[in-house]
Amino acid sequence: MRAAGRRAPALLALVSAALIVADTVTPLAPLRAFGSAVYGGLEDAASAGVRWASGERRLEELERENARLRADLLAARGTTPSPAQADGYRVVPAHVIGFGRDGTVTVDTGADAGVARDMTVFDGNGLVGRVLRSGPGTATVQLATASGASIGARLEGSREVGLVTGVPERGLLRLSLLNPSAEVKPGDRVVTLGSRDMRPYVPDVPIGTVVTVEPAPDALTRTALVRPFARFTALDLVTVVLGPQPDGAAVDASAGKGTTKAGDGDKGADRDEGGSKKAKGA
Amino acid sequence: MKAVVLSVLVVLVAPVLQVAVVNGLSLPGGGPDVVLVGVIALAPHLRPGAGAFLGFAAGLAADIAPPADHTIGRLALVLCLAGWVCARVTADGTAGRRAAVAAAVALGATLAGGVLAALLDGTPWGTALAPGAVAWTVGLAALVVAALALLPRRRSFGRVPRSRDRPRDPYGRGRRLA
Repeated sequence: MRAAGRRAPALLALVSAALIVADTVTPLAPLRAFGSAVYGGLEDAASAGVRWASGERRLEELERENARLRADLLAARGTTPSPAQADGYRVVPAHVIGFGRDGTVTVDTGADAGVARDMTVFDGNGLVGRVLRSGPGTATVQLATASGASIGARLEGSREVGLVTGVPERGLLRLSLLNPSAEVKPGDRVVTLGSRDMRPYVPDVPIGTVVTVEPAPDALTRTALVRPFARFTALDLVTVVLGPQPDGAAVDASAGKGTTKAGDGDKGADRDEGGSKKAKGA
Repeated sequence: MKAVVLSVLVVLVAPVLQVAVVNGLSLPGGGPDVVLVGVIALAPHLRPGAGAFLGFAAGLAADIAPPADHTIGRLALVLCLAGWVCARVTADGTAGRRAAVAAAVALGATLAGGVLAALLDGTPWGTALAPGAVAWTVGLAALVVAALALLPRRRSFGRVPRSRDRPRDPYGRGRRLA
């Protein structure tokens, strides 16, 4: 009895260590999928129960319409050509049903509704983040403030291109502009640059405003701290961008643009791709 | 039987409670780790092997429950050891003593988890070892264990005398659920 009492914990500790090693070498996707199927459903049920009790069920129709209007607004904002410009976006509304400690949240919309990895998530205030992985009925969203996140961005006024990374302990973001002599001052608005094929980020989603310009440690980049528009501790209704409008013309136009634009070698888009790859690797 | 039901409840409900309710409250400093508190509260009523298994299962659940995005096995390792220690350190004694043991285990497990988070997943040290979250977890663990120890029903478990016919079993059946 005593021996068993010692052997079991040692064995379980070894299994845990083996899991850590296995997950570091090759991500254990099936285990995570199982987790999001079981616990995603439970979280969804718990959250839906709370919402139903507070009588928000009647609002669903309005939420859907709100999401559609937001997408229209987002599409209408694009005033200058972006790597991926569409006439409209297909979107799906979602509720935030769980808050993690890794700079991530769970939303109650998953692969069933067409949500897949690397889709933009935003709310009424601004950019929230991107979809990290999706389960059957839920999806995990990496917040813009997560330590592994990096987002291609530009200043709304001067169109200067840069990279936004998370500063998790302060709830702020750091903007590194590629042009070291770029003009940046507190109050400037920062929007997303947009990635090729609109994944992981669609262009011109507001991210935040510059609060302080950091003194340059070197002359290579110019950095500033950005206060995000979205309130990451009080997220509720968000919108997931599934892709461009399914209308044939828009799809053709964006596909054609993608091939012709590839020759232009949009450096910003390349940089963003690299950044998101780095984030995936982390 | 009762132990199995309670363990399943901790493994299934605590991770959901954590992400859907506690983390959403945005308590000052970060909020407690409900899964760890659940393991620390239940493990003293189990045998060491069962305590370790409860910790492992609850930790693995917290590792894979969305939106977790860290190395799988990190919490399983920490909670497995926490459950084992809690079940091994004898559960008899006053409510104060039990609460002290619970607080010590909660502190150790939170710090160990934070160190692992920083080493394995590159979490910034300031976030991994946030003093607010540590304080919440230690306080809640001590409180819950003290409350369980003071319940009259629980006290009767501790008063069953050790039987003579099983002298080699250090964990008498009377005060353990499994």
